[in-house]
Amino acid sequence: MKEMKIVKSELASFLDSLTSEYKVFAPVKRDGFVAFQEIHSGGEALLDYVNSKKPPKEIFLPQSEVLFTYRLGGEGLGIEEPTFEDKPMVIFGIRPCDARSLVILDNIFNSQEYKDVYYTNKREKTSVIAIGCNQPSSTCFCTSLGGGPFSPEGSDLLLIDIDQEYVVQAVTDRGEKLVKKHSQFRQVKPRGLSLMQKVTQKAEALIKSKVETGKVKTKLDGMFEDPFWDWLHEKCLGCAVCTYLCPTCHCFDIADEATDRGGRRLRIWDTCAFPLFTLEASGVNPRPTNKERMRQRVMHKFKYFVDNHNVAACVGCGRCIKECPVNLDMRAVLNSILIR
Amino acid sequence: MPDTSVMIRDTAKKLLDEKRVDLIIGFERGTLPLRSTPCFVRRSEETERLIWNASCENNLARYLRGRKEKVGIVAKGCDTRSIISLIKEKQVAREQLFIIGVPCHGMIDRRKIEARFDGKEILEADEETERLILKGSDFTEIVNKAEFLHNSCNICSYKNPVIYDILIGDRVEEEQGIDEYEEVKEFEAQPADKRWQSFTNEVSKCIRCYACRNACPLCYCQECFVDSPQPQWIGKTTNLSDTSIFHIVRAFHTAGRCVDCGACDRACPMGIDIRKLTKKIERDVKELFHYQAGVNLEDVPPLAAFSLDDPQQFIR
Amino acid sequence: MQDEKVDGWEPKIIAFLCNWCSYAGADLAGVGRFQYPPNTRIIRVPCSSRISPLLILKSLQRGADGVLVSGCHPGDCHYLSGNYVARRKFAILNNLLEYLGIEKGRVHFAWVSAAEGKRFAELITEITEEVRALGPAKELVKKPD
Repeated sequence: MKEMKIVKSELASFLDSLTSEYKVFAPVKRDGFVAFQEIHSGGEALLDYVNSKKPPKEIFLPQSEVLFTYRLGGEGLGIEEPTFEDKPMVIFGIRPCDARSLVILDNIFNSQEYKDVYYTNKREKTSVIAIGCNQPSSTCFCTSLGGGPFSPEGSDLLLIDIDQEYVVQAVTDRGEKLVKKHSQFRQVKPRGLSLMQKVTQKAEALIKSKVETGKVKTKLDGMFEDPFWDWLHEKCLGCAVCTYLCPTCHCFDIADEATDRGGRRLRIWDTCAFPLFTLEASGVNPRPTNKERMRQRVMHKFKYFVDNHNVAACVGCGRCIKECPVNLDMRAVLNSILIR
Repeated sequence: MPDTSVMIRDTAKKLLDEKRVDLIIGFERGTLPLRSTPCFVRRSEETERLIWNASCENNLARYLRGRKEKVGIVAKGCDTRSIISLIKEKQVAREQLFIIGVPCHGMIDRRKIEARFDGKEILEADEETERLILKGSDFTEIVNKAEFLHNSCNICSYKNPVIYDILIGDRVEEEQGIDEYEEVKEFEAQPADKRWQSFTNEVSKCIRCYACRNACPLCYCQECFVDSPQPQWIGKTTNLSDTSIFHIVRAFHTAGRCVDCGACDRACPMGIDIRKLTKKIERDVKELFHYQAGVNLEDVPPLAAFSLDDPQQFIR
Repeated sequence: MQDEKVDGWEPKIIAFLCNWCSYAGADLAGVGRFQYPPNTRIIRVPCSSRISPLLILKSLQRGADGVLVSGCHPGDCHYLSGNYVARRKFAILNNLLEYLGIEKGRVHFAWVSAAEGKRFAELITEITEEVRALGPAKELVKKPD
């Protein structure tokens, strides 16, 4: 399908018409940060922002999710599974890095071998409308990981901001259907397309942070016993900031919350940074110190995940770099690995 | 007068060369503007990495426990007070430490900068004695450093290290007549339901990353109450009730020990005002038990002691 | 009494009583047939210092409308100084909870001796009415999200 356009002043009405048919998630201004939340009118969506604090993975893999509830009643044990949402969903305003992250998460939760119903239920009925990054952040390094400020991977529609309007690329059939269905999408003029070229080139040039991640995996292949890990972890606090804010981190724990006669089983975010993550019931911990945990974090993202799924579990969004309380910079870590 | 960074480097180099310490914990340049990062130096040549500026906001005392080596630590006033608390609780031995005390003019609060520039990214920052020169993609602005310091720095009366083996540079004049509990009083003046609303609004942002806990030098329990499975005191989700109790109890656990270094507040990725609770407890400990944490090595921690006439008007 | 209940709601109060004084005092209330409302569930602990803020907060979280912690009078602690240490903890917790806006009258502290059977009954009666006036607990109650 050829590129279309949507005028910025009509975006709100497009979103309004979506809300009647879909559950729409869009970036919204919260107290001091941006979050993806459900909106009920187009005007609520924030368009002028860099990226959300928490990644949009939380829409498909919520921080806590009820797997089932149970009750001990007169008739014995009753187990109730949650009712799944029927309404299709739209996630609007996601950045290309985060859209890519969903494809990466699909390797785990929506693959040939295994479909996680709690995830796929939401994932399969969601249309992804991404907005490309005209002004990447200094912490963005998406281009080092196979992505880019206008990468269409993972989106159904990709919007490119050319000031008064967005050029719209329909990446998938689903995206195409959306465009055909809504009158706000119109033919884009050649001038718009050339503006788009300018904008995308300018933005891509703004990404100064480059890491040769392609070579990292081969380096890591032989680095398990490297003394590098002895000092890398020293300043790491072992908190969950980088993992919880990472769009591709997906480790979880199963927790039960029970009352007298019933309870529920939850899937909750977990982090390999906590000692509890690998603590066994016997008291043995295969990753006893911060060193082992840090090593595993880096290896998982840049070697094990590549071994298993042919892609690094990182999209270069830069959240971990921005938010780490001690400025432990993953780019610096990767560069250090490259020179070992 | 030589640069503070240079003086720290010289001191560190001397300590390592003379083998008076095995490790120096200090700061080095961060990878982003207005950021420094903790630095662990064991070799004399590496001391060149050490720096000092208004972005050295972390409390390095957090890295002291569990070490067998002799450690030289770069510490500002609040950090040295945490060290005193740690020594008092027998978590680190005084003889093990060589405290490189640095008088502090206050640390920059990046959130205040962000708010001032409405989220526009700062790409370059130059720090001068009184000013910050901040450059973005399409702007350069000079601001007054003093307007962008952390709240805990604005009310600080311990700008100079309380305990040290060497003092780097000149002492800073301590500000007089600061009302350090102004924020607490403002909060108290509100009606009860507004206070609860305000508190729950703050903690609803919490993602239970425990950066606050892990950044605090005094949160060192082998098993934190949040990780206790039997009994499970609070759930692990971001449920508002569980999260509220986490913050209430963590703040309570710092009673008589917290020195208001602000590390918790600074570590929080969501910008939760954690000091709102800890500052209140600090004031109560001062007023009820006449104790302030981390000012000397002799005072007995208040919750490890009692007086026969402690206040009890709230007890029937 | 029927018309005083709202929708049949009755306050649920958890009382942590120290074994040597307060619990004995409660016992004496029973022996002496001093009546008090049945809304309180008593949990016996060795000493008031056994009570951590977690126990009080968890009670409120799980639906207690009121919590009472009671121990020996200062000077009378079976373990000599338990209640002195507890007194400091409770002072800080009480102030903190009030500061955060938890309704006054949810959490109570008392010293009740083994001889104060009548006083115990009176205390429980007073506290029950205070909690009843506040209505069901809402602030820290855990609701599934």
